[in-house]
Amino acid sequence: MSEIAQRIRTLLSTRLKLATAVDEITDDTPLFGPTGLGLDSIDALELVLGLEKEFGVVVEDRATAVKVLASIRTIADYIQSQGKG
Amino acid sequence: MAGDPASHLPHGISFRFVDRVLEIVPGDRVVALKNVTVNDPSLQDHFPGNPLMPGVLLVESMAQTAGLLLPEGLSAVLAQIKEARFRSPVIPGDQVRIEAIRRGGLGALHRFEVVALVNGIPAAEAEIVLAVVMPNAEKQP
Repeated sequence: MSEIAQRIRTLLSTRLKLATAVDEITDDTPLFGPTGLGLDSIDALELVLGLEKEFGVVVEDRATAVKVLASIRTIADYIQSQGKG
Repeated sequence: MAGDPASHLPHGISFRFVDRVLEIVPGDRVVALKNVTVNDPSLQDHFPGNPLMPGVLLVESMAQTAGLLLPEGLSAVLAQIKEARFRSPVIPGDQVRIEAIRRGGLGALHRFEVVALVNGIPAAEAEIVLAVVMPNAEKQP
């Protein structure tokens, strides 16, 4: 988990322009919405393409993305559930 | 090619920056042409005596080409322009060959890699995200 989480943090910092330092993002920090990092739908697309490239996992549609991209933990769980990482 | 292959773009003719579609694999890749001419209104004042196709219009041309890959009947707007580079000036007489490849999407967003070439040499390139916003308005016959 922690190794995957670290790779996800790297992905967040390299593909997105974050206002928050990446090591301040916990596994459970919400990535979207005003209480979290405040990412938007274009960031979500960027993340989906990054996850496909880095981990070989496909996020097919928006409904899946909403669930999977909630936090670093939910992304890591999804990667493991797909047998990747 | 018969008719107007770019006619399903929602833009009116005065804001159309695609002249011809050479190849298209819907949803995947497209190659189109934009011919640049000295009496194009946007070149009259950009710049007087030194006509140069505005970079923003080159991007518009690239975005419209990418938009041809969306299903017919949808309108889309620019959502992101990334890594745009303008490598060489595009001037009257140039024929710009625009190649767009779809590189995934999510929900209403579609991502494309687009390159514009003149005589086989890249004049501009960009990663463009289009957001589908609405069905096309009913067209005049």
